[in-house]
Amino acid sequence: MTDTTGSHPDATAQEHPVDGDAPLFGPGSQFHQFFNDPRWALAMVRATVLEAAHPQVGAALMESSTFVVHPWRRLRNTFLSLQRMFGADDQVRQREAARLNRLHSRLNGTDAHQRPYDAMDPHVRAWVVATLFESTVTMCRLSGQPLEQRTMERLYAEFQAYLAVMDGEDGRLPATLQEFWPYYDRVVEEELENTEALRIILYKLFDHLPAPPVLDGLPTVWAAGRALAGPLVGAITVSSLPESFRRRAGLPDIPGARTLTQSAYLAIGLARFLPDSWTQAEGLVSLLFVAPDSEDPRARTVTAVRDGMKRAGALLRLITPLPAQPDPAEAPGPQRTAEEFFRDVLDQTGDGYLDWPDLAAMARELSGRLDLDEPQETRLYNAYAEWWKELQTDLDTDGDGRISKEEYAAAVPSLAGPALIKVAEVLFDATDADGNQSIDADEYRALFRTGFHRDVADTDGSYSRAAFVRDFLSFMSGRQRSSPYDPLLAEA
Amino acid sequence: MIDVIEAARTAGVEWLSLYAFSTENWRRPAGEVDFLMRLVRHAVRKHAPLLHARRIRCRFLGVTDSRVPAPLARDFADLMTLTGANRGMTLTVAFDHGGRGDIVEAARSLIRSGVSADAVDEENFAAHLPFPDTPDVDLVIRTSGEQRISNFMLWQVAYAEWVFPPVLWPDFRATHFVECLRTFQQRDRRFGGVTPNANGETRP
Repeated sequence: MTDTTGSHPDATAQEHPVDGDAPLFGPGSQFHQFFNDPRWALAMVRATVLEAAHPQVGAALMESSTFVVHPWRRLRNTFLSLQRMFGADDQVRQREAARLNRLHSRLNGTDAHQRPYDAMDPHVRAWVVATLFESTVTMCRLSGQPLEQRTMERLYAEFQAYLAVMDGEDGRLPATLQEFWPYYDRVVEEELENTEALRIILYKLFDHLPAPPVLDGLPTVWAAGRALAGPLVGAITVSSLPESFRRRAGLPDIPGARTLTQSAYLAIGLARFLPDSWTQAEGLVSLLFVAPDSEDPRARTVTAVRDGMKRAGALLRLITPLPAQPDPAEAPGPQRTAEEFFRDVLDQTGDGYLDWPDLAAMARELSGRLDLDEPQETRLYNAYAEWWKELQTDLDTDGDGRISKEEYAAAVPSLAGPALIKVAEVLFDATDADGNQSIDADEYRALFRTGFHRDVADTDGSYSRAAFVRDFLSFMSGRQRSSPYDPLLAEA
Repeated sequence: MIDVIEAARTAGVEWLSLYAFSTENWRRPAGEVDFLMRLVRHAVRKHAPLLHARRIRCRFLGVTDSRVPAPLARDFADLMTLTGANRGMTLTVAFDHGGRGDIVEAARSLIRSGVSADAVDEENFAAHLPFPDTPDVDLVIRTSGEQRISNFMLWQVAYAEWVFPPVLWPDFRATHFVECLRTFQQRDRRFGGVTPNANGETRP
């Protein structure tokens, strides 16, 4: 077979990357080779589980993260963030790092056992980057294509550089790959716990994984897919975790799961040979977010798929054996009940209460959408904080510091107070990027990712401050469904 | 029932309507109605994949009554969604349907559309009936030896031929259906006039 080796120059070049000269970021980097690998989705779920098992990260996730309720949004945001951090443009990277630092500086406090947590703690951040690196390595190993030592070192250097961009020079990852593995094993051995966040992610998430927006309204299809995919992803993730940790955390050892895990990684790895557009993780993730009636060129395909899905859903419902207790599924009307609005929009963390982290999550999502810089981002957070104070004063009747569904339902009419109007005003200023006091089609698209709706624009084709404030208030208090805010704040 | 649907499809029938349950049937004892509803639901779910596979478009006349149990209404809607794009044969199931009710509904819809009285003719009146694409009925088979119209698709049966086989509906099979078709083929259809071949006139 020696006569064929000359015909694969690419393969040869890949096996011997030029050390030293190769950039740590951008298209030439090792990381970039993995970026569109569909195995990444599994690796990232695994990394998230390992993050959540760290007491400090776990506490931050519990207190502030919307991951359990909005996993798709979080997955998408993480993808975008990594893309910016590992892209070729250094300016974009510096901005993203600054944004992450601002975001993390807001995540601190004490957990249920009165232990402090802080997302800015360099050890905590090092662990998060370590899980991303280690999960990538494990992803390759489990799918039967272990990385070569040089490639692994290269990748490690890139992740170190990633951490250094955020942390300045004092990144806390061990200096060499040789030192990394003992560090990793030690953290797994000594620091990881069966945290509440871990249990919630593993059990609640895999059990009640919300449907991605494309499948919204087709609960049966999602239920059928999830019934298979949820436990499978769960089993695969659990069995790919370090064994010592699995034992200590009392995670179930499922017979055959190890083999299953390897075949799943292998199968997804083989998917690389499918046409590019089918498997690009980024494409898949963004496709989940295309609104069926938006002007995105992919929307027509999505609409066609949805029609097919509707039929498939109808067939599935018809052939599913009758349940003992038939559930009266109600079609959603244009108006939400106070309870639905509370669940779908206000309670972003899904803990059943309205609390500051819920509002912070909304501010975070809006700043992310609009790609805000300082000082506008802080203005938006402050406006939300003011609104939170107003809500607490008006609605928290039992004084426990948070607002229950009942307290909210009892006080719906007083929701549109001056502080909420202020939020609308600040959001308008942030959206009105050129400051001409009206929102044009591009600015509108930045916020909502769809074009103007005919009934939104004024006669001159722009969206005035008054109309913007009015619509925002009607969404936040009038509980109007089918507004452009729905995909922004209510979907998973 | 599926037996008859298959026979009709094989014989080249493009439009088949079944009269499953009339508005008046609600007056039957509650236990009997419940039982019928469960039976219908069971039948719909059992045959849905086959109907779809045979490219039969299914639709239901008059299922909007609130007395139709919600799960059954859901199944009806699902079956319509599933088979909506099929063009093999159209199967209309008249469920909780009354012919007079349809006509009254059409009149209401006509009045609401603001058509002047002089502008109303048969054609645009018919356009307001439920499923206006349904053609006139050619043949009605009334089983069980009963010889009544029973308020069934009153508008559409204007020129229909009727056969009254004595066999009861639960015993009605494909062979009975073919027999009825043969009877129909031997009928001399005049559409209110006289036979064209008798006096050479064409029918309207």
